[in-house]
Amino acid sequence: MANRAQIPTNNSALIAMIADEDTITGFLLAGVGNVDIRRKTNYLIVDSKTTVKQIEDSFKEFTAREDIAIVLVSQYVANMIRFLVDSYNKPIPAILEIPSKDHPYDPAHDSVLSRVKYLFSSESVASDRR
Amino acid sequence: MEDSKHQDVEIEEAQVESSCSEAQLLPKDETVLELLDSINNYLLLMDSLSSKLRDGWFELAGARQSMGSSRVSSALFDLKYHHAATLMEVDHGDADSNLKQPHFTLHKWLSTDNQEFSPEGGKFEEDELLQRKSSSPHSTEEHQEKRSENGPEVLSSPSSPYTPNSNIKKERAKSLSMFGTLVSPKLRDAQLSFETVLETLQEVANVRSSMLAAYEQVLKEIEISKI
Repeated sequence: MANRAQIPTNNSALIAMIADEDTITGFLLAGVGNVDIRRKTNYLIVDSKTTVKQIEDSFKEFTAREDIAIVLVSQYVANMIRFLVDSYNKPIPAILEIPSKDHPYDPAHDSVLSRVKYLFSSESVASDRR
Repeated sequence: MEDSKHQDVEIEEAQVESSCSEAQLLPKDETVLELLDSINNYLLLMDSLSSKLRDGWFELAGARQSMGSSRVSSALFDLKYHHAATLMEVDHGDADSNLKQPHFTLHKWLSTDNQEFSPEGGKFEEDELLQRKSSSPHSTEEHQEKRSENGPEVLSSPSSPYTPNSNIKKERAKSLSMFGTLVSPKLRDAQLSFETVLETLQEVANVRSSMLAAYEQVLKEIEISKI
């Protein structure tokens, strides 16, 4: 993979992040960080001083941008804006809930899995065929 | 005798009817199985992602311990204008298809010097135009000459000074330079770990998109069966 020539294309887009400092640090080391001419970044570091409003505003901004393909959100942060995350239904940018250091991944809270689980819990496919 | 023949015929007709109804059910079973398979793959990938992230955080903690916490902190993040070196290509799939299933491809360590690409929306081009307006005319001409000389072939040409390996090393070093010239080997390990995390995230995004497509298909079939 490292020896393959990296040929950029016109469909390339950014990966945005709303996560804790360590997670953001790691992804910036992997080359994901972007700062535009207006000094706007494609990430938001969430700490004890970050308000829910700031997280909501960042989420709305990243999901509205056309140059972002994926928004990575730590699951504990997604839980703070659960209503917003669950009501988001566009295919792009894709919202991926990731674990954080202090909060392991919980499939029960994942918005995509909750949507699919609802299908099987409320009415099974078999019962509809009767 | 005639009654038993009549009964045999009835049994045969019932068997034919049930096999026809099974054939009608099969496509729905396939869709549901596809959905369940994608859910299973998604959960397995999330488990793998968690494990790789833990490795990355552990190495980062090791780097912080050897270099000092002030040398590996968000205060040192580069807030000057720069492009991301790692991007995600999105293929929106067949426009004619009812199931819109985008496909994601990761592009790591693209050269940030010669920005020939632009993401959707042309935001990078807009930023470059703004930057050119603010810079001097002389440096603008030099920049334009550089762009015309170094086309996209730079990344793949073996004779150019920017071979893929050297470009990747250069971009990796640029990323690490945020934390100083001499960095701990643990920080380099953390960088590699997070690169593999990104590769896993690409797979997660693709499985998620196929899971949502299968889910939409199942919902559609439920609606049709209700009619």
